[in-house]
Amino acid sequence: MSYKYLKKTTGLTRLNVAKNPQHTLSVLYGKILRTIQKMPEDASYRKYTEEIVSNRAKIVQECQTVEDIEKKINCGQAEELIVQAENELILTRKMLSFKPWESIIVRPNADQWTWPPGK
Amino acid sequence: MAVRVITKIFQQSNYLGLHKGTTQTFCLPNFILNRPRFQSTEVPKETRPTVRTTNDLVKKNLSDFGRYVAECLPKYVQKVQIATGDELEILIAPDGVLPVLQFLKDHHNCQFSNLADLCAVDVPQRSNRFEIVYNLLSVRFNSRIRVKTYTDELTPIDSSTSIFEAANWYEREIWDMYGVFFSNHPDLRRILTDYGFEGHPFRKDFPLSGYVEVRYDDDKKRVVVEPLEMAQEFRRFELSTPWEQFPNFRNSAPPTEEIPLNKEEK
Repeated sequence: MSYKYLKKTTGLTRLNVAKNPQHTLSVLYGKILRTIQKMPEDASYRKYTEEIVSNRAKIVQECQTVEDIEKKINCGQAEELIVQAENELILTRKMLSFKPWESIIVRPNADQWTWPPGK
Repeated sequence: MAVRVITKIFQQSNYLGLHKGTTQTFCLPNFILNRPRFQSTEVPKETRPTVRTTNDLVKKNLSDFGRYVAECLPKYVQKVQIATGDELEILIAPDGVLPVLQFLKDHHNCQFSNLADLCAVDVPQRSNRFEIVYNLLSVRFNSRIRVKTYTDELTPIDSSTSIFEAANWYEREIWDMYGVFFSNHPDLRRILTDYGFEGHPFRKDFPLSGYVEVRYDDDKKRVVVEPLEMAQEFRRFELSTPWEQFPNFRNSAPPTEEIPLNKEEK
C-alpha cells in the first residue's frame, strides 16, 4: 500500500478513519454498477448514476494515494465518499422496486397547484 | 448625480448665506444635460431595498437541477417551479413521497441529508385540501429544496420517518393540527394539544373559539370541560381587514415561475 500514514481523525462526528478506502470504494462502486444493470437502458436515473459512479470508479483505480482521489473527485474526504457510495447503493436497490422511470402515475387536479385558490 | 451634488452644495451655501444678493438659480444648460454622458444606456439596477433582487445564474442552476430531478423521476414529479426567484419547488404525486425523498437524500448529485421542516397547508377550496410541504437542506452543496404533495382528510400519506428521523415529531404535529394520517408512522399521537382534545385546530373550518371551554367548578372542586356556549353575536369573527393592503398587486401573478418539463407520453 502506498498509503503510508493513517490520518488520526476525519474531524467529523461518528465518522471513523477508513483503513483501506480504495478497496471499499471500488467494491461499493462495483456493486452500484451491477445493481444498475438491472434497470432499463433508457432510464435517466440509470444513465446519470452510471456516469457519476463509473467516473469515480475510474479515478479510484487510477490514483495512487487517497489524497489524490479526494482531490480529483472533489466531494469530501474518502470516508465521506464511502458514505455517499453506501447511500447510492441503498437508493439503487430501492429504485429497482420504485421503478421511477415509468410514466407519470397521477396527474394533479386542475385546481391543485394554482394560487390564489378557487379561481 | 453630479448635477444633484452641485445643486445640493449650491443650495447649502445659499442657506448659509454665502451668496446673499444673488438671485440666479443654479442649473446646467440643456446642451450639457443632453450629452450621452448623462444618459445611461445600462439596465437600471434594482436599488429599492424592499424589492428582492434575483440572480440569473442561481435561477438557471436551480431550474437545471429541477429538470434533472424531474427527468430522473418522471413517474412522480408533476410540476417543477421556482418561487420568489431562488426557491426550487418540486410538486409531486402523494404516492411518490418516499421515492422522491429517498432520491433527494441519497443520490450523489443531491445529498439533501437534512429535513429542515415539514408542515401542512389547508386550502379548503381544493378537492385535495391539504398540502404537505417538505423543506430539505443539502449541507454538501449548500442548497435547499422544497417538495410539495397533497392529500385530503381521509387519504393517508406515507410516513417519511424511515428516511428522515426528524420527520417523526413533524408528522405528529401535522396529525395533531390538521388530521392528516401518516401510514407506517411508529408513534402517531397528538403532540401539541391538551389531553382529551378533540378536533384539529389548524383546519380552516375549526372555530376560533374552539368547541369546548375549560373552567374550575367550585361545587365539584375540579376543572370541568363543557361545550362552549356563546351568544350568537360573538360567533361572527370578521377576520379580513376592512382595507386592502396591496391594491397595486391585486391582479399580479404569484411570484412562482414554472419550469417547463419535456414529458414524452408513453
